[in-house]
Amino acid sequence: MFNLKKIKQNAPAVPILVWTGILVGIPLIYVVVLSFLSRDSLGNIVFEFTWENYKRIFDPVYLKVFYNSFLLAVLTGLITLLIGYPVAYFTANLEANRRSLAMGLIILPFWISSLLRVYGWIILLGNNGLINSLLLKFKIIDKPLTMMYNFGTVLVGTAYMLIPFMIVALYNSIDKLDRSLLEASYDLGASKWKTFFKITLPLTMPGIAGGFTLVFIPALGLFFISDLLGGGKNIFLGNLINAQIKGRNRPLAAAFSVGMIILVLLVLYIYTRITKNKKEGLFL
Amino acid sequence: MTKVLLQLKKVNKYYGNAHILKDISLDINDGEFITLLGPSGCGKTTILRCIAGLENIDSGEILLNGVSIKDLAPNKRNVNTVFQNYALFPHLNVYDNVAYGPRVQKSLDEKELRKRVAEVLELVQMSGYEKRMTHQLSGGQRQRVAIARALINEPDILLLDEPLGALDLKLRKYMQTELKHLQKQTKTSFVYVTHDQEEALNMSDRIVVINKGEIQQLGDPREIYNNPRNLFVADFIGDRNITRVEILEKNNNHFKLKLGSNIIDIKCFAAAAEDCEAGETAILAVHMDKVRIYCTETPNSLLGEVISIHYAGSQVRTEVKIDAEIVTVIEYQNSNCDYNVGDKVYLSWEESAAVLLPLEDDTEGSNV
Repeated sequence: MFNLKKIKQNAPAVPILVWTGILVGIPLIYVVVLSFLSRDSLGNIVFEFTWENYKRIFDPVYLKVFYNSFLLAVLTGLITLLIGYPVAYFTANLEANRRSLAMGLIILPFWISSLLRVYGWIILLGNNGLINSLLLKFKIIDKPLTMMYNFGTVLVGTAYMLIPFMIVALYNSIDKLDRSLLEASYDLGASKWKTFFKITLPLTMPGIAGGFTLVFIPALGLFFISDLLGGGKNIFLGNLINAQIKGRNRPLAAAFSVGMIILVLLVLYIYTRITKNKKEGLFL
Repeated sequence: MTKVLLQLKKVNKYYGNAHILKDISLDINDGEFITLLGPSGCGKTTILRCIAGLENIDSGEILLNGVSIKDLAPNKRNVNTVFQNYALFPHLNVYDNVAYGPRVQKSLDEKELRKRVAEVLELVQMSGYEKRMTHQLSGGQRQRVAIARALINEPDILLLDEPLGALDLKLRKYMQTELKHLQKQTKTSFVYVTHDQEEALNMSDRIVVINKGEIQQLGDPREIYNNPRNLFVADFIGDRNITRVEILEKNNNHFKLKLGSNIIDIKCFAAAAEDCEAGETAILAVHMDKVRIYCTETPNSLLGEVISIHYAGSQVRTEVKIDAEIVTVIEYQNSNCDYNVGDKVYLSWEESAAVLLPLEDDTEGSNV
């Protein structure tokens, strides 16, 4: 029998379910189904079940791409954390009116097109770029340093692009921290550093995990940064999927996408384990 | 035999332009229970935080066992605090909370530590709760854990910042006795901050009354209660009727006073009364529960009219108008006479119940 009360209770959730069903559920099913289909020589989809696309992921060339992307995403998470934590900590401890100013300044550059900002890095790091010209001018070096088109360049660009997410997540967590706990720790004989590692860090772990997740997920899929800063040698997942779609191999692109989704789910699983039993988190 | 443990010497503290502590000088003896009592915002918590090192002082000196500690960081002072909201670490269980101090100071090995934690938890009657997380504890239990966590370091002084404020009335009464007991047992000096006069009078060996960043009076509870040194203390401690009177005659401790159209004689041995001179206007403060109501004229009494009667359980509050002044009387049983609103009655009190205080320039904020 229908439980009328329960239906009434859950009624407000219906529009949300319909919305996510159309915009998230259907495309996701489409991608999963697509990843099991074949294509003809012209690149048209053929409705014929195959494991072939998934088998190709295990081709060493593609595995290397997965590994590169995973490494890039993890390192981006770590770098943004190391830079973002002091910034967020400092900002959260400012007076109220300065705090909103600082947060505004952190977010301000992100009103400019991200493409332009990536080009900014080229101007800075290129062979004829700002850093090289200055170093050459002051005779510190006698031929330009190669700072462009390698893994490091892509890492710098990605970290730069995503660091606001990390700072905002950390800021929220640090801001919520009860300052009297820190005072209690000093009072009981702990130094500032000990207090940081024994109280501040554990209590802001949800912010760290949240920031890491928010940075990790886009870092795995961004392709225009590696396109512009990585040159042709450094292929990441985003580039690979993009290339497969352009090359009219959509089933293979779909299989790579599913692989990427699995990596993301893995990180989300770890995230929920860390924030379990804590009264804060991205999904609470 | 009393040894001075902590000395504050002319301590001053500013927040911006606000002068929070004004020349605070105070000696705290070894093993005493001393209470800083005052209204909120009077600076009592700031004094505590200055002793703990959580606030810097702008001038003056703080000596612990004769050694200056004013420039020491909080973690270098052998003083521990029980915070108002307890400030228990939410990510640690009871055992780890209590063990925090010795662990960060590396003062005990794990085996000794286990023994010590068991001891202090026993002391606050929280044995068996070691594995509980702090959010699983009641207010009273958190309070005990906070005390245990502070006491495990064997501080020279334990600072308590309104620790009973968040508890319900019954538990608060119980914990007052407990705290006093604990203090005697550990022989540690307790510096206790509260705005609750009853708490202060109940537990303290000595009370420091503070207002607007200044010490108003320092003394044992009996002295503070019976012998206020100024109007603020008279008004803040105990329920008193405070009225303006004219001093007609002064003869040592005997005064002839004019209150409205009444003239009465009183005896006052309070030190403050010595500053009152004949011909001056002064303040007469009488405990509400020491005034008696009579239906017939008694010697040395005031004539007034009953304007309201409130029955509040065991006590009766009666308001009597004497010329322009309204006097409140608290009686526990109305044995002297029956009266109704509008009746003329005579008020008098035991000689020792009245305190005469000089009029101060700064009488704003009091109900004179």
